[in-house]
Amino acid sequence: MSTDTPGWPRRRALWHAPGARAALGVIALFVAAALFAPWLTRYHPWQQLGIVDLKSLPPSWAHPFGTDRFSRDVWTRILYGARLSLSIAALAVLVSSTVGTVYGAVAGYAGGVVDAVMMRVIDALLSIPRVLMLIAVLALWSPVPVAALVLLIGLTGWFDVARIVRGQTLALRDREFVVAARALGARPTRIVWRHVVPNVLAPVIVAGMLAIGNVIVLEAGLSFLGIGVHEPMASWGTMFQDAAEQFVTTWWAVIFPGVAIVATVLAFNALGDALRDVLDPRQLPVHPAPEPQEQAHG
Amino acid sequence: MHFRRILACWATLAIAGACGRGEPSSAAGAAPDGGTLVIAEPGDADVLFPPLTVSIVGHQIADLLYDHLAEIGDGMQTIGDQGFKPQLADHWTWAPDSMSVAFHIDPRARWHDGVPVRAADVRFSLDLYKNPKLGSPVAPLLTNVDSVSVKDSLTAVAWFHAKTPESFFNIVYQLWVLPQHLLDTIPPEKLATSEAARHPVGSGRFRFVRWEPGSRLEIVADTGNYRGRARLDRVIWAISPDNNAAFTQILSGDADMLENATPDQLKAAAGHAGLRPFLWPSLQYVFLGMNFRDATHSAQPSPYFADVRVRRALSMAIDRRAMLRNVFDSRGAIGYGPFPASLATADTSLRLPPYDPAYAAALLDSAGWAAGANGVRAKNGKPLAVRLLVPTSSAFRMSYAVLVQDALRKAGIKVDIDAEQFPSFVAKQTAGNFDLVLAGYGTDPNAGGAKQNWGSTAVPPAGFNYLHYRGPAFDALLDSASSSFDPAKAKAYAARAYQAVADDAPGVWLYDVVSFGIISTRFHMPAMRADGWWQHLADWTVPADARIPRDRIGLGAPKP
Amino acid sequence: MGRRVAARLGQAVVVVWLVATLAFILVHAAPGDPFGFDAPNVTEAVRAHWRAQFGYDRPLGTQYLLWLGNVARGNLGYSHSMHEPVRDALANALPRTLLLMGVAVALSFLLGVGLALYQVAHHGQRRARWAGRVALFFYSVPDFWLALVLLLAFAYWLPVLPAGFPVDMTMHAYMTPGAALVDRVRHLILPALTLVLLTTASIARFQRNELLEVLPLDFVRTARAKGVPERQVLRRHVLRNALIPTITLFGLSLPALLGGSVFVEKVFAWQGMGWLIVNAIGLRDYPLVLAGVLVSTVLVIAGNLLADMAYAIADPRLRVD
Repeated sequence: MSTDTPGWPRRRALWHAPGARAALGVIALFVAAALFAPWLTRYHPWQQLGIVDLKSLPPSWAHPFGTDRFSRDVWTRILYGARLSLSIAALAVLVSSTVGTVYGAVAGYAGGVVDAVMMRVIDALLSIPRVLMLIAVLALWSPVPVAALVLLIGLTGWFDVARIVRGQTLALRDREFVVAARALGARPTRIVWRHVVPNVLAPVIVAGMLAIGNVIVLEAGLSFLGIGVHEPMASWGTMFQDAAEQFVTTWWAVIFPGVAIVATVLAFNALGDALRDVLDPRQLPVHPAPEPQEQAHG
Repeated sequence: MHFRRILACWATLAIAGACGRGEPSSAAGAAPDGGTLVIAEPGDADVLFPPLTVSIVGHQIADLLYDHLAEIGDGMQTIGDQGFKPQLADHWTWAPDSMSVAFHIDPRARWHDGVPVRAADVRFSLDLYKNPKLGSPVAPLLTNVDSVSVKDSLTAVAWFHAKTPESFFNIVYQLWVLPQHLLDTIPPEKLATSEAARHPVGSGRFRFVRWEPGSRLEIVADTGNYRGRARLDRVIWAISPDNNAAFTQILSGDADMLENATPDQLKAAAGHAGLRPFLWPSLQYVFLGMNFRDATHSAQPSPYFADVRVRRALSMAIDRRAMLRNVFDSRGAIGYGPFPASLATADTSLRLPPYDPAYAAALLDSAGWAAGANGVRAKNGKPLAVRLLVPTSSAFRMSYAVLVQDALRKAGIKVDIDAEQFPSFVAKQTAGNFDLVLAGYGTDPNAGGAKQNWGSTAVPPAGFNYLHYRGPAFDALLDSASSSFDPAKAKAYAARAYQAVADDAPGVWLYDVVSFGIISTRFHMPAMRADGWWQHLADWTVPADARIPRDRIGLGAPKP
Repeated sequence: MGRRVAARLGQAVVVVWLVATLAFILVHAAPGDPFGFDAPNVTEAVRAHWRAQFGYDRPLGTQYLLWLGNVARGNLGYSHSMHEPVRDALANALPRTLLLMGVAVALSFLLGVGLALYQVAHHGQRRARWAGRVALFFYSVPDFWLALVLLLAFAYWLPVLPAGFPVDMTMHAYMTPGAALVDRVRHLILPALTLVLLTTASIARFQRNELLEVLPLDFVRTARAKGVPERQVLRRHVLRNALIPTITLFGLSLPALLGGSVFVEKVFAWQGMGWLIVNAIGLRDYPLVLAGVLVSTVLVIAGNLLADMAYAIADPRLRVD
């Protein structure tokens, strides 16, 4: 796949897009924090350092972000929280993008009645309030394992992607290189995989960037309601929820996870915006593209 | 919950100092009638029908709107009728054989709709309480009361099955007298959801105004009451979705009182001149229980806790005092054993396994649980990994779960926290689907009360022995305690029974539920009684110069 | 048009039924039941008695058919968490949510489209970029976070507004009509502001992209060529065309708003539908959970249907079939 594939931003263009560098920097910072957490702190995120003497300590040299009400180091928990929050978001978005892409590609390529039915199904699913549904399911079965949380968030978030991909596929399926491939006897799965998927990947990635931000917010919200990630694990949302009630007396345990959440989400959304700006605006998600540009493809 | 009041009666004796924290009552007499108390309440009432209510607010409404035949009095004595004061009955006469007692109803007593209270109401009430179709949780406490007969319109005779130390207490304390003329047309099984259960009509010093479930509940003084009108004009429960929202109402002055404040909230409220803390004990205690049965196959013994060495090791691996300080700061009350310390038979000198992590490790070693991979002990390849059941509704128990988890991790025991909402917590606790549980027990005030929690006969569904603990010595000693007419003897037997449980170490006694509330300094109150801060609410006053606009609403009905 | 609406209505009924059935299975399959409330002195035997009294011991199929029959007759059952008929519980909570959401939707569509127009009118300029950043910020912050920050800012640090509840729980019933109205508005400001800020941001971002997409189209160029003033081009030609997809967004934003209102209702103790449903789930109040799910689904579908119809009216191409 050459860098000239339609919709793929030229690397340099992205680099110069407003906000992109800052966003990439922030994301890199948090990813590094997640990856190198054990080297960036002396403590374990669940470790209670001294439940009477070392609880709720304000920030100091020993504990740059202070300690929480169980005498755990907030800095350490933020680092490990980055692992949890980011990987939940990344995995959930991976799930939803995959499901959405496959569903959309199949619907768009099949067309006709199949397409109509599949799109009706999406309409129906979209009329269920996602957050309410997640709250209901999670609250009924709380506490759920993190893997189930990822799957639930992922499997309720693919409708938009499916619509984007379906639109793109519809537009592509009558293009000459697809027609040619079909004439040569290629099987539909192969055509979709070789010709359709690479062409819709760019908008899917943009949507994915924006979705990561959304999922981080969503996970934090669910954890805020006490039905997301559970003790002693520390996602940023759990930390925020755990300390929110002590805001007046232990503000540091609330502020830092809150800042982490907002900064990360901002970064992902800004990056999504930048990516989109770099792309041809008419290839944006939400609407089927009017007419893709002429493009040699091989 | 039902017994918490009763138990708390006993608490006065134990924590008399704490109960005396009310404002000096000298000022109270001077203040004119009037004033509005707004209670910020994180939990709503369940049903405003005394035989069925199990919530705290429901009990408060029952106590304030309805009357007992006699009032237990500030001495809080449960043996015989000593110390009991007239309430709905202005006097009573014992039969020579002590198998029945005739209550004479105060002729001035009226239901809030104006109909006089009659002896037939007493008979109707007892029959209703005991009617299996109603399913009142109080019914088992009235088993010793056989029936009530009506001698004349103002004389009701209560008949007992057997002569026991607490016959009088049973009928007088468990039974609220209900209006027959409003309830006898409704089938008992429909009462719980009936309109009558939402619009209570009683004979107490407050009368019902209205209830908007989830929002507010309002009562006003019954001005023509035979026992004198309530000094306050009205009491409003402002129902909040959670404790935080309730607390914000206190800080903003929209509400006057919060029953249960967290240590952080007390700290935050300390700076406000118009607020002061108050303490009220209860008869509940919280402990870390160990399931004697296998969590998934309840017929089999637990692979972990069937061994007393493991149970004792757990007790010794947990620093109860440090945890108490972490969760409650200096305001916690440590658990002394399988009873709340406010119980009359409580023995605070029980020998409990001390905190000794090294000894705990040695015990686990000797029980065959050797240190294994990742710091988790194992025996025959089976890791010492247990599931700790805890209700999310209790912030304190949730905190303890996190603390216990880390403490046991250090002892080589892997703990998974199973934090459940209350309904699924109850389901799992009842089914024995847990290894460890952070359980809260409320007990009966009398010596035999612990039987419902620790007795061999009290395994679900009959009682609350969720751990399936069986101690024949405990059972026998407790029986001796509860049949004793002599309080000193009862206490001695009970202490030996408790020690038998403590030696078996089925649980780690973490704390007694002692609630700290916050209240506006506007209110002057007689000494707060331990069986519920609201017991003397009808005698609270607001001095004229301290009144704020809502104290001057008057007795007018609110707009619909 | 009529056929289209009828078809959509039929589809809506099927969707509602499916969602309700799914919800029925979900709540009954979950651990716990309505009589698992916190009451340490109620034995399992008594709980079992109450369970039987309400028919929760019957086979699930029977319960399902009974429930379906009752709902069809408009009987939503008795709420165990609110201790009143479900109908009454909804009648209290629904208006509160509708008030909050209505204000939020109306204001944020106005503000969102306005902000988008501002950005497009000053496209490429510094102030447009700043407007874009502000929109991005509010688009990115979590709802509960913003709600808490606003609460702390305007109810604690600068205590000018009430910290929660739909009205002053004590005094509202005793106020004059004027004072009662002021009271209601004061309590509405913070929760509505939270939702408005969040929703405005997403609408502005969406609308801006739509406008930028329409700008290069032929009819805009034609209008410009004819010498129509830029302001009028924007308002008449661009906005009108760009608004059509925004109508769809209105329909799509309802589920998100309902979800977001759960957090806002929690933080501001706003006892509306979100609070009611979450509370009911926590207490396994089957009838109320199911009724809540039914009502929110109907609400969302009705919103979509309205948006659909508005779309059909606004877009001439759809009117032909």
